[in-house]
Amino acid sequence: MSWKNIKLIFIKELLGTIRDRRTIIAMIIIPLIFYPLLFAGIGYFSKLGSIKSEEANSKIIIDGAEFAPQLVNYLREYEKIEIFILEGDSPAKLQNGDIQAILVIPPDFKYKIEQEEPNKLILKYDDTEAKSRIAKQRINQIIEKYKDEILIQRLSRLDLKEEFLTPLILQEENTATAEKMTGSFLSALLPYLIIILIFTGAMHTAVDITAGEKERGTIATLLVSQISRLEIVLGKCFAVMFISFTSMALGLFGLTLAFLSGASIAGGIEGVKFGISVNTIFLLFLILFPLVGLASAVLVMVGIFARNIREASSYITPIYMLTIFLGIISISQGMELTGKMFLVPVLNSSFVFKELLMGKIYWNHILTTFSANMVIAGLALLGATRLFSKEEVLFRS
Amino acid sequence: MIQVEGLTKIFNDKKRGKKVAVNHLNFNCRKGKIFGLLGPNGAGKTTTLRILATMMLPTKGKVIVNGCDVVKEASKVRRQIGFLSSETGLYDRFTPRETVKFFGRINGIEEKIIEKRIAEIFHNLDMENFQDVRVNKLSTGMKQKLSIARSIIHDPPVLILDEPTVGLDIITARTVIEYVKSFRDQGKCIIYSTHIMREAEKLCDMIAIIHQGNLIAQGTLKELKKNSSFDDLEEIFFELINQGEN
Repeated sequence: MSWKNIKLIFIKELLGTIRDRRTIIAMIIIPLIFYPLLFAGIGYFSKLGSIKSEEANSKIIIDGAEFAPQLVNYLREYEKIEIFILEGDSPAKLQNGDIQAILVIPPDFKYKIEQEEPNKLILKYDDTEAKSRIAKQRINQIIEKYKDEILIQRLSRLDLKEEFLTPLILQEENTATAEKMTGSFLSALLPYLIIILIFTGAMHTAVDITAGEKERGTIATLLVSQISRLEIVLGKCFAVMFISFTSMALGLFGLTLAFLSGASIAGGIEGVKFGISVNTIFLLFLILFPLVGLASAVLVMVGIFARNIREASSYITPIYMLTIFLGIISISQGMELTGKMFLVPVLNSSFVFKELLMGKIYWNHILTTFSANMVIAGLALLGATRLFSKEEVLFRS
Repeated sequence: MIQVEGLTKIFNDKKRGKKVAVNHLNFNCRKGKIFGLLGPNGAGKTTTLRILATMMLPTKGKVIVNGCDVVKEASKVRRQIGFLSSETGLYDRFTPRETVKFFGRINGIEEKIIEKRIAEIFHNLDMENFQDVRVNKLSTGMKQKLSIARSIIHDPPVLILDEPTVGLDIITARTVIEYVKSFRDQGKCIIYSTHIMREAEKLCDMIAIIHQGNLIAQGTLKELKKNSSFDDLEEIFFELINQGEN
């Protein structure tokens, strides 16, 4: 085996891939330009929407206003609330969006207040409408304030202090550092994103340089050269690994940019602090490397087996679906892997990623994951090389 | 230069069972000669040439290319051969210069020699004016010239050409034939498969007629004519096929 030959194939595949317009679109334009613009756009419009909803007055109808004039006055004092008199079909108006909420006051309101009995008010609103939700919040605030006032009056009648109602105070203190909070937030989604980006990054190139070579008839020209089958497979696999890793890195960078731009436009971000140590980064790479190798080797093997690009794509689809499935399992809350489960490829990496991002280092998990994925990647490479030596696979028509 | 003895290739197909693609072929090709394999589609020409080019293994028989066994010394054989077929493609995203350089490198040629050979070949094949244009922008004729250049960059003594003119227009096909002749004049041993009678007549020093995997006749055009009641190669071909089937 000659590294020089492997390098020749690696460079050839890399150059061919980089010169493909589709690669540039998928690797650079979509993550680095499209995602940030898209998220910035979403952030801008959602902010615009929420500003409009916040600024607008809430139009409400009070059904039974005459039974609680004091409360109605309270509501009237709030400058962002417009009160309308009940006329016609008020629920239909709520449905149409003409008004945002209906407050129903019972006829015995005053009597029950005097008798110190619980009073039941009904607030009708539409939870699917932002303006209606805001109206609900506003009315809630006012009702709470009014309620407090009644309570204070009752307490003073009984000659009791306000503190009478708060015998206990529970003060919560979050001991997690900003770094840990950020790690926890990242660990929820990042492993899934990494896995998906690795596979999507590898897919196109893996198919193009294997099944694509068969389809275009260039494979025979490689087979009659001085380069061995193993060198060809390794060169191709390394090229797929490189592209897969780069597109993952660019994808993550693009998504971070997109998230930051979108979130900062929508309302700013607070408390994000990256606290990943150099050791953790090294360990992340230790897990990342066999995963990228595994994805590339499996996809290259499938690509070599397939007759053409179409066939390869149809073989790869279930593999991709399985990867998404494993990724989704990994982001589900509360799920924990035990011993042998760390032998399951993809799933193991995503759990170790999670642990590392949370600042937990379990060497047995790391070593099991690393070894399991390396062995499977090696087997896939061996399989790919064997397939590449089989004439019935190479010359299937 | 090429000795083929008892060459047999049997494919095991799960659906269709065993299929004898090539049955006990014997022939020799010499230096400075063009040996034509003439036969219809599916006769076994491509399989034979793929075995000669080490892409497939024979089921039985022996093939020696310039003193090297295709099974035991495949790598050495590959150094001796240039392979070109109608099915071989080119890398669309590379220029002719990059393509030929790459094939020079993967055939283990030194950089200096590659540069020298490229200059020589591009001049001879009149490729200088499109050497830096990407392959996907080239015409069919230009592409075929590049395919030839790619297959001879390592200056192989043996050329294996599998229907190299299929799908080409008449002008490009003629150009290819002229180059093949010039390679013969340079002393290369050429094995040339075709189903076009005129091409075989014009080009080949020796012709082997192959039908359903069997070699049914071989000799010079003169010898084939002598053993037949016809004077035209096409008629001779059908006569031999009919004899074979009866």
